[in-house]
Amino acid sequence: MSAILDIQRLTKRYARTTAVQDLSLSVPAGSVFGLLGPNGSGKTTTLGIALGVLRASSGAVRWFGAAPTAEARRRVGALLETPNFFPYLTARQNLQISADTKRASPATIDAALETVELAGRQHEPVRGFSLGMKQRLALAAALLGQPEVLVLDEPTNGLDPQGIADVRRLIQRLAAEGRTIILASHLLDEVQKVCTHAAVLHQGQLRAAGPVGQILAATDRVHLRLAPDADPQALLRALAAVPFAQDVQPAPGGACSLALAPGHSPADLNRALFAQGLALAHLSTEQRSLENQFLQLIQNS
Amino acid sequence: MLRTELRKLLPYRTAWVILLLFTGLLAATVAGAGGVNVNGQQLGQALYALPGLWPNLTYLASYFSLLPAFLLIMLITDEFQYRTLRQQVIDGASREQLVLDKLLVAGLLVAWALLSVLLVGAYFGLTRAPNASLPAVLAAAPRPLLLYAAQLLGYLSLAALLAVLIRKSTPAIVALLLYVWVVERLIRYFLPDSIDRFLPIKALDILTPSPFAQTLDTVLGPSGALLPGEAVPVALAWAAGFWLLSAAVLRTRDL
Repeated sequence: MSAILDIQRLTKRYARTTAVQDLSLSVPAGSVFGLLGPNGSGKTTTLGIALGVLRASSGAVRWFGAAPTAEARRRVGALLETPNFFPYLTARQNLQISADTKRASPATIDAALETVELAGRQHEPVRGFSLGMKQRLALAAALLGQPEVLVLDEPTNGLDPQGIADVRRLIQRLAAEGRTIILASHLLDEVQKVCTHAAVLHQGQLRAAGPVGQILAATDRVHLRLAPDADPQALLRALAAVPFAQDVQPAPGGACSLALAPGHSPADLNRALFAQGLALAHLSTEQRSLENQFLQLIQNS
Repeated sequence: MLRTELRKLLPYRTAWVILLLFTGLLAATVAGAGGVNVNGQQLGQALYALPGLWPNLTYLASYFSLLPAFLLIMLITDEFQYRTLRQQVIDGASREQLVLDKLLVAGLLVAWALLSVLLVGAYFGLTRAPNASLPAVLAAAPRPLLLYAAQLLGYLSLAALLAVLIRKSTPAIVALLLYVWVVERLIRYFLPDSIDRFLPIKALDILTPSPFAQTLDTVLGPSGALLPGEAVPVALAWAAGFWLLSAAVLRTRDL
């Protein structure tokens, strides 16, 4: 897949802090790309640089295979950080301004308002809107002109459970239409449900990136146990001699769990232990959630 | 571009209040000034008589030039506060486009001010000037009005630069007032006349000279200031410089 967004060695320094450090990542066309990280990890800064509102200290951003331009940004619909509107204008008037800037057809305004269920409130000033309504209006603005790419930074902020479910369905529908979606979120469960790819940021640095399945597989835990009459230490000694067995943790009753190095399967492990004369009474794989993986990546860094 | 700025401007109540205040204050001042007695004579005859009517009017209008400047500061700083400049860049506007948009707004404010002066001048010219016809009144208008337009554009350009630099309306308005009323006057103390006449506010103010300037020159001797015609390129150069500086600031800063 070609890259829609390509970020190379991006660094953003402020007076006393480095918000993003030497970050490189690539967003494949047609993917739903989750950008994960705790508060202050550099997600919004990275997107802000990609969208042209922040200046990078060093590094390069390419959209659609070329240097970023205003024209390239018009092919991207984005909701970055907070909804930004003129409070004294109505929802519709604000969308008209967005449509002018994006050079989108005014006809797309009605469809966008319908999508976010604000058609009935379109003539009310935005100053009277709740945060959730402003968030939905910002989503409508991002959808104007049917952009090829959507950048959604915490799109479910301020939404009620129904709104969150609606946004999830919307993202899945847009992804099914072939749009590329870049989603920065704290809601790891959401990301796991909708994203095909993810990158994990911590303290401005990239900790992991790739297809979600690959990131999760990297920390699948393998649980092992020998027969009850076997020497419990024998398993640990044997595992110490298996180079692709990582993060071995003893468990009660002579059992233990471990992670496998990339490219190795539980069958490889079983063969390696059998070659050392050990027969397993139990071997199972625990598929971890993105949340577990995320927390482990953050703790390891 | 124009349509988008009008979409922001037309529903903005504060803008209408300030613009109508400008027109109302100008009309009231012109009406009131005619009744002032100078040396036992009503000023009215001298104020409204052609061809002096228009220079007198633009001189009075220059007293209210700060009102459109305040409005432009509010329009720009509001966009920083609402983060709508940032959103427009995200949506696909270039930073240079943002500056051009605000230059266009400055042009609209100049057009409003000119229209106000024109209407007030036409009304008082026709009703108070002796033996004046509409063609005669309007024929004398272009030069003073163009000089006034250059002056107002200069003030608005400085206001826009301060708004872009400071990003908050009250400090930007205070900075504008401080520069116009205090800072430049202080700078003038340390500069010879041959140089200080090129300073922005001095060059701008000379575009709408006081009706009493000639009398003062006779009493005090020539002031060394530029003539209005000479001040036009200086004013326009300052205006261009202020806008280019605003563009440079916007281009290099995070939004």
